[in-house]
Amino acid sequence: MDTLREIFSPDFLLRNSIYISLLVGLVCPLVGVYLILRRLIFMGVALPQISSCGIAFAFALQAWGIIPHIHESEHSLAFIGSTLFTIPTILLLSLLVRRGSGSVEGRLGTVYVLAGAWSILLLVTNPLGEHGLLDMLKGEIIAVSDADLAGTAATFGAVVLIIFFFRKEFLLVSFDRDMAITLKKNVIFWDALLFLLIGLTISMAVLSVGPLVAFGFLLMPPLIAHLFGRNMRQFALIASGIGGCSAFVGFCVAYRLDYPVGPTDVALLGVVYFLCFAAKKLWLLCRHEAVQQS
Amino acid sequence: MTDELLLSLDHVAVGYGRRVILPDVSLSLRRGSFTGLLGANGSGKSTLLKTVLGILPSLQGRMALNPIDGRTPVLGYMPQRESLDPIYPLSSFEVVLMAACGRVGPGRFINKSEHGFARQCLAETGAADLAAKPFSQLSGGQKQRVLMARALATRPDFLLLDEPTAGIDAHATQAIMGVLKTIHAQRRQTILLVSHDLTTVRQYAADVIWLHGGKVLHGAVSELLSRDKIEELLDLEFR
Repeated sequence: MDTLREIFSPDFLLRNSIYISLLVGLVCPLVGVYLILRRLIFMGVALPQISSCGIAFAFALQAWGIIPHIHESEHSLAFIGSTLFTIPTILLLSLLVRRGSGSVEGRLGTVYVLAGAWSILLLVTNPLGEHGLLDMLKGEIIAVSDADLAGTAATFGAVVLIIFFFRKEFLLVSFDRDMAITLKKNVIFWDALLFLLIGLTISMAVLSVGPLVAFGFLLMPPLIAHLFGRNMRQFALIASGIGGCSAFVGFCVAYRLDYPVGPTDVALLGVVYFLCFAAKKLWLLCRHEAVQQS
Repeated sequence: MTDELLLSLDHVAVGYGRRVILPDVSLSLRRGSFTGLLGANGSGKSTLLKTVLGILPSLQGRMALNPIDGRTPVLGYMPQRESLDPIYPLSSFEVVLMAACGRVGPGRFINKSEHGFARQCLAETGAADLAAKPFSQLSGGQKQRVLMARALATRPDFLLLDEPTAGIDAHATQAIMGVLKTIHAQRRQTILLVSHDLTTVRQYAADVIWLHGGKVLHGAVSELLSRDKIEELLDLEFR
């Protein structure tokens, strides 16, 4: 209770951190829903790593003197690096997945491991950025400026609005591409827009909370929601609700026990997933028994 | 009115990429016709259907869907149910409501009259009670009814169905074909039905397109599915 009182007090020092956790918790699952439905879970693993690699690359360019160092420009630089790596990769990978040629898992695995290796190599060649990047990779959500928070909120707000207004188009091209074509929908445009939103969300989430937490919030809340959602609206709302609640509770627990926020959030999501899975199985078992008895 | 041509294919080649499956298809369909598209597995039935639908591009030749009252005809498509991923947590009603996307522009909300029409289409195919049920949990026959309702909810000028009776029992087959028969009789709906079931096509369709050994035979059911003609074709196949 004391922890909650502290967190809700107006002069709480980590106020921006909790806001950013909540934003990631609420928005990433809305985008992750499409990764689950399109069976692109591996892409959800590989893309945050690519995004981290983009950030490391941008900082390395600065350390090598290729781009100038501008005061307090780190966040923008990291966002540009992350986005420039993530969006082309997601568009290319989705094109290859759509064509269905070769091993999709093999390609995604290769992208993941290469991005991870290059992130580390770029990190060790850049002593200036090493400390901050390591914090980011660990999921330390501590120093969030008002400008960073505003940027993240604006980007996520735009993503949510676009997903909300064009949800029927995104659902149609995802569920039944052939029917979308017969209804004269421009499936390439809608696919590209959806992947652009996914790429943008991942870039922003990795920048804010690191690849581990971004991946956790992209995939685990939708997986939990899939156990209970009976239609698309329920599925999306439950996923976002679980993400938001877990982010808040995870932050409180981490603050109370002095743990890093990101890993605490993901561990909490794991517990929620296990409990929900067990509850669903138990419910199905009880229902089966009841049917047999009647 | 019903003698007007709706679809014409002139020396069209169909296939996937560089793989040609039917090298030379020339045929035409009249408005208000009920045509069965017959052929053995792998003969190119679904490929031809997808080419007509615009899902696959024709590899050569000319295909034309003639305008109706100055507008492009609306195509109502019923795919094979296995092509739809069961991972989507969609209610049957949501599946049918997708058909409204053809009329409701991007960013616009689907209004109450479209909701009502979707329910009406579900009722027409005898699936009104399935509206709230998860689509992925329905039986094969139930899914077919819902998908047919979705095809009807596009308000089609041309209804194209890919194996609507495949893998379902005789009772469900009869029910689905009964709905099609009623729609065709009441609205003079143009229907192209892909099937490998000769009996079903003979019973319900008036015309037939038979894909046989890369060739396309087109004619009335009474002549193309006559006992002598079938014996002639099957004899050819065995040789």
